Formats: sequence, C-alpha cells, structure tokens
Amino acid sequence: MTTPGSDALRPAVRVATSERSPVSLILEGINELLSRRRLIRYMVSANMKRTHVDTVLGQIWWVLDPLLQMAIYVVLIEIILNRGTPDYPLFIFAAILPWKWLSISLGTSTGSITGREGLIRQVQFPKIVLPAAGVLTGTVSFAISLIALGLMYVLYADRLSPWLLLIPLVAVVQFAFSIGLGFILAAVNTFYRDVQNILGHILRLWFYASPGLWSFQENLQDSPLRPLLMLNPMAPILESYRSLIYGTTEGIHTGPDFFGLGVVFLFSIGLILVGILLFKRMEPAFAKVV
Amino acid sequence: MTVDPKQPAFEEPPMSDSELEAAARDDEPEESELDRRRHEIYPEGQPAVRIRNLGIRYNLRLTRRNTLKQSLASMVRRGDEVKQTHFWAIRNLDLDIEHGDNLGVIGPNGAGKSTLLLSLAGILAPSEGSVEMFGGTSTLLTIGAGFDGDLTGRDNIDLAGAFLGIPHQDMARITPDIIEFADIGPFIDAPLRTYSTGMRARLGFSIATSVIPDILLLDEVLGTGDQTFRSKSQARIRELIQTAKAVVVVTHDLGYVTEFCNRAILVERGGIVAQGKPADIVTEYRDRVREQKLIAENQAKRFASGVPG
Repeated sequence: MTTPGSDALRPAVRVATSERSPVSLILEGINELLSRRRLIRYMVSANMKRTHVDTVLGQIWWVLDPLLQMAIYVVLIEIILNRGTPDYPLFIFAAILPWKWLSISLGTSTGSITGREGLIRQVQFPKIVLPAAGVLTGTVSFAISLIALGLMYVLYADRLSPWLLLIPLVAVVQFAFSIGLGFILAAVNTFYRDVQNILGHILRLWFYASPGLWSFQENLQDSPLRPLLMLNPMAPILESYRSLIYGTTEGIHTGPDFFGLGVVFLFSIGLILVGILLFKRMEPAFAKVV
Repeated sequence: MTVDPKQPAFEEPPMSDSELEAAARDDEPEESELDRRRHEIYPEGQPAVRIRNLGIRYNLRLTRRNTLKQSLASMVRRGDEVKQTHFWAIRNLDLDIEHGDNLGVIGPNGAGKSTLLLSLAGILAPSEGSVEMFGGTSTLLTIGAGFDGDLTGRDNIDLAGAFLGIPHQDMARITPDIIEFADIGPFIDAPLRTYSTGMRARLGFSIATSVIPDILLLDEVLGTGDQTFRSKSQARIRELIQTAKAVVVVTHDLGYVTEFCNRAILVERGGIVAQGKPADIVTEYRDRVREQKLIAENQAKRFASGVPG
C-alpha cells in the first residue's frame, strides 16, 4: 500500500454547480482533458484492442472494412445503376474513409457515458474524458485505414498528387467538428437514450445528403437543393478530401476548399465550447441518472 | 457469512488495546494517543471535512425507473411537502468530521446515508451548499467497477489507476503489490473475461485498497472471496482504517458502530436527526425503529379490522 500524490486524492472544495460561471466550467473542462491525457490514451488503446479482437483476420479488418464498403457502393451505383464517374472506386473511397471516422467517433462518444454506469456511480473522475476518448478512437482508426488508401493508389497511381499532404489539415477541421458534436451527443444521450437509437439512421441519411456518393460538381450543378446541402458542415470537409485524394473528374487537383474549411473550423470551435459547457453543466447529474 | 473459528472475524478489534482505550477515553480531558497523533499533524480546530447546508436533489423526470421507484417510495413516506418533480435525498445538512474521527453513519434504508457518502466521495455534486474535504479521499466502493473483459489484468490495473488519477510512477511502483495481493498468478496477463468471479473480486479489492486515503469512506464492511482471502482483506481494511486520518462508515451493523466508532450520526429523511456518542445514537435509533414498528403494526391492525385510519 502507498500514499501517492494522486489528483483524485487531493483536498477539494465542492459547491453547487449553478453557482459557477460558464467560463470557469469551460476552463475546467479543457483543463480536465489536458491533465487526463494518460487516461484518454489508455481508453483509446482499450477501445482499439477490443475492436476486431477474436476475429480470424484481426487487425486486417481495419483495412478490409472500408474496402468492402466501397465495393458494395461500386456494385450498387456503377454496375447496377450505371451512374458512376471516372475512377468511381477512388471517388467514393475519398468519402468512405472520413465518414467511417465520423460515424465511429459519434457512435462511440454517444454511448460513452451510458456504457460506463458502474464506473460513474463508483469513481470520481472527469467524465469529459469519455466522449473525448470515443472521438480519438475514431481518429486512430482513420489513421490506420489510410493504409487502405495506399492500396487504392496501386490501381489509381495517376491520381496521386502532393496535395495529399494536406489531408491532416482537413482532418483537424473534422476532428474539431466531431469532438464538439461528441460532447453534446454524449451528454444528451445520458438523459434521452433515444439518441443512440436514432443516431445510426441519422448518420445514414446524413451521408446520402453529403457529397459522398455524389459531388456538387458532377451531380448537383444547377439543383435548387444545392444551397441547402451546402449548409452541411460535412459538405466542405468531404469535398476537400476528395479534391486532395481524387481531384476533379478529369484528374486535375485544385486543392481543398480553404474558405469552406475555415468557416466549418470556426463553427466547430464554437461547437466545442458549447459542447464542453453543456457537458459540464449536465455532468453533476450523470451519477444520478445512469 | 460463515465464520471459520480459526480465522479472526472482522468483528475483532481493528485497533490495539491501548489505542482502543484511547478512543474510549476520547472525550476525557487528558490527551489520548489518538488525540496526540491528530494534533501532531493538524492544527487545532481544522476539521477533516466540513459540510455546510448540503442539499442533493434528484430530478424525478430524468431519473430512470429503478431510482424513480425508490425515490417515489421515500416521497410517499415524506408526505406532501415535497414537490412532484424533485426529490431531495439530502437537505440542509451540516456536519464537521474531525481528524481522528471514526464516524458511524446509521439510519433506515432510503434515509440518504449512501447519498451522503457519495457526495463526500465527490461522485455526487452538491445541488445546494458545499462540501469541503481537507484531505484526499477514496472509497472502497470501487470493486471491479470499470473493468474491461477484453483487457488483461495488467492493462486493467493501469486503466483503473488512470481513472483514479494515480500518477504513472506511483502506479508502476504499486503494481507488483497489487498483483501479489490479488494472488491470481499467471492469469494477470490473460484477458479478464477468462477470470473466475473470485479472481475478479480479488483484483478489484486489491486495486481499490492499494491507495491509502486521508479520509476513508466505507459503504458497509466488505467480505470478498474465499475464507483465506477474506481474512487477508479484513486485515487490510483494518490497516486502512488505522492509517487514515478520518474514517466514515455507512453501515447497518450497529454492533460495529458501538464498538469501533468514536462518533455516530443518525440520518433520517435526508438530514441528521441525532449525533453524539455511538452508544447513545444506537439506542436512539433502536427506540425510533421500535416506535415506527408499533405505529406500522397499529395501522396494519386498523386496516385489517376495516376501521379507516
């Protein structure tokens, strides 16, 4: 036995949350995320170890999964519906990878509080690390699935371009957007568990409404829906990935939509702040509800 | 719980005779052993815990059925002064816990004892008022909470340490002790889902008790695993109780309270209704229980004979 200087074991003053200002709550949330990096890291690695454990192909699934998903869309759209664009497999692959990241992130973070009932009722720790670990799990799996992208370029070598180096930039915007949304979903799902039931359906509809299987340039040049669909924060993100990975249909790379990304990034910063505040406001009730 | 006559039961004194005498003489003017230890480390007058006007409120619309049911049950008992949408598990509670205190918390089910303990642990935040802890706390509630079946025992120890906020270096130092105490042999590197219930419980206990808190919070006295491990675990709890600067025990074991606590509080309907020497409080509690039982019996009789209340 020992008496280590743990931060959970330090003296503490606790007062009612309603007596605290939004700024102090947000700062506390950010501080908790930074000071509990090791916990987040352990949780991400636990999540990664848990996925695909006990399968014959094991970690290969990280690469195989997006490839199979792509194959299904290719069969559906290019072969059955006969509506593909040139090099269609790469065209949709550029959207499947980030979308998988988004759906893992949101799915894992949404259930992150409700899935840890025992812990929340018995141990005092900053709950905000849970959705953060969920989004980071998605991020790591995205990084691994880039191997699959490498395999795709064996077939489409002529579409390789130096613009690929800007993928991390787009990824930062997507990360900010999904972690902000993750905080909100995790908190709300604790009180209304309907969220995790409906999320899968919303994600699917959202994907079809985003430029994933189609693009604004190819399919919606003069559609009246265009301005509406452009409001989707994932639209500039997916279009940017595509411009880096695939280029235009003619194979010309023009670079990402910097303006669109900038707007989404600013919006995401706001979303993160609102998300942390909402989460910290609801946090005291988690142990009473789960 | 079967008691092996050869093994010392937990009801045996956790303190040496001299310390026990010292605790018994606690209210006498001359300085006892416990007092001396207390005053050496802490300045006169500063408590270990200071609770002021504490209120813990549950929102009934948001709580799930099982809690809701319990809450409603207590609400019926509480009468009409409570609004339908909220339920105060604790209200207007003031309490100071001094260094060296071994405080027994007793009271009927649903009185708010566990809620009080959870708020001391920081798991439940105050809806009203404040809780000040002048020292670190840890609960022994954490047996196996948050274990991950797909991870190895060793990974789970790391994860638990990170959840408890124990720094990495400290964790590296105490991990061998945790593994040795849990006594699960080579299984430590196997996934947790391959463990037996006993092995899981031993590992959980070993982790939960690997850190000595300033203020030890106990919800009932723990019995884990087989005979051998139980006596080992009871010895360790005794060690924790002796080392901690203050102990709070929530229990239905009134014998334990009179024997080992130096102070007791009686909690009823979310507030402290009596506090003082354990023997007095236990008597008071027994009287109240008897009184309520009589009232209930009378009501039942009236009901059975068809005479309205």
